[in-house]
Amino acid sequence: MNETIKLALILFIITAVAASVLAISNSVTSERIAEADRLASERAKMEVLDIAEEFKQLDENRLKEIVGDNTNITEINEGYKGSDLVGYTFNIEVNGYGGPLTFMTGISKDGKITGIKVLVHEETPGLGANSTRPFFTDSFKGKPVDSEITAVREPKADNEVQALTSATVTTNAIVDGVNLIRQIYSEKLSN
Amino acid sequence: MKLSKVFFNGVVKENPIFVQLIGMCSVLAVTTAAKNGLAMGLAVTGVLIGSNVVVSLIRKVVPNKIRIPAFIVVIATFVTIVEMFMKAYAQDLYNALGIFIPLIVVNCIILARAESFASKHGLLASAVDGLGMGVGYTLALLILSILREFLGSGSIFDIQMLGPSFEPAIIFLMPPGAFILLGILIGIFNSIRNKQASKEVLQKEEAR
Repeated sequence: MNETIKLALILFIITAVAASVLAISNSVTSERIAEADRLASERAKMEVLDIAEEFKQLDENRLKEIVGDNTNITEINEGYKGSDLVGYTFNIEVNGYGGPLTFMTGISKDGKITGIKVLVHEETPGLGANSTRPFFTDSFKGKPVDSEITAVREPKADNEVQALTSATVTTNAIVDGVNLIRQIYSEKLSN
Repeated sequence: MKLSKVFFNGVVKENPIFVQLIGMCSVLAVTTAAKNGLAMGLAVTGVLIGSNVVVSLIRKVVPNKIRIPAFIVVIATFVTIVEMFMKAYAQDLYNALGIFIPLIVVNCIILARAESFASKHGLLASAVDGLGMGVGYTLALLILSILREFLGSGSIFDIQMLGPSFEPAIIFLMPPGAFILLGILIGIFNSIRNKQASKEVLQKEEAR
C-alpha cells in the first residue's frame, strides 16, 4: 500500500513538472501561433479576391441563412475596397481522394471567379496534391459564375478549367465545390 | 565508453532506419520531398536529445516499476514543445508534416533509446547517443527523400533539376516506390557495412 502511494506520488511530480514546462512553452508560442494562423488566412483571402482590401466575416446566422443545407461551406467573408462591397470569399470542405479537402474561392461582385486556393488537403503528392499549384488554380480565374464549370485536358471555352492528370477524384471534388459556391452566389448574393 | 564510438554507433552501426528498421510508417509517409525529410529528421533529433538527457537525469529517482510511463511523459512533453514551436515559427513545414509530428511520441526509436541507453548511462553519453541516433535517422531520411523527390518530381529541395521533357516517375512519390527505394538503400548500406566488418576482422587477425 505504502509503495503504491509512493509510486503514484513520483509519477504525479513528473507529470506536474511536465505540465508546467508545457504551460511555459505554450505562453511563449500561443500568441505567435494565433498570429501566424490569422496571417495565413488573411493571405489566402487576399489571394483569391485580390481586388478587396479588407474582409469581414459573415456571422453564423447569416451564414446559415445563405448556405441552407450545404453545411460544408464553413465560412463566407465579404471583401471591401474602401466602403464598397467588391466580392465574397467562400471556404468549403469537400471529399478529396485522400480525405477531406478544404479550399477557398473568391467571387467578385461582377460575377467572375477571382481565384481558388487549397488550404488543407491529404492528396497524393505529384497527383492530387498538384491542386495547390498555380497551373491548376489559375485556370479558374475570370470564369463567369452563370455557367457550369467543367474540367478538361486542354481548356478552351469560357467555362472550362484545367483537369489534373490521373487525379480525377480531386479535380471533380474541387470543380463540384466551385459549382456549388457559384450556384449559391447566384441565388443568394448576386443582387 | 568513448563518446565518438557512441555517436557513430547511432549513425552507422545501429542506424535506426537502415539497420534497426524502426519507425518505418512515418519514414515512408514524409519522405516525398527533401524539405519534409530534413524537417522530420531534425524534429526527431531534437526530441531524441531532449528525452535522452532528461531520462538520464531522472534515471536514479524513478523506480523501476513506473519507468515506462515516466519516460512516455518526458517524450510526450518534448514532442509537444517541438510541435508548438514548429507551429509558431515554421507553419508551412508543420502543415506539410501534419499528423506525423504528434506521432513522434509513439515512434519506437525514442522510447527504445530511453529504455536501452539513457536509463543506464550518464548525461553526456546519453546526449551524444541521442545526437548520433538523430543524425543517423536524419541522414537516412535525407537520402531517401532526395532520391524520391528527384525521381518523382524531377526536383531537389523544390529546385527543378530536369527540363520539362523529363517524365516524373510518380510511383516513387507513393508508398510502393518508397518501399522499393528503401529496400535498395538498405541493401547497399548493408553490403558496405559487411565489407567494413570483415576488413576489421582481417586486420585484427593480421595483427596477431
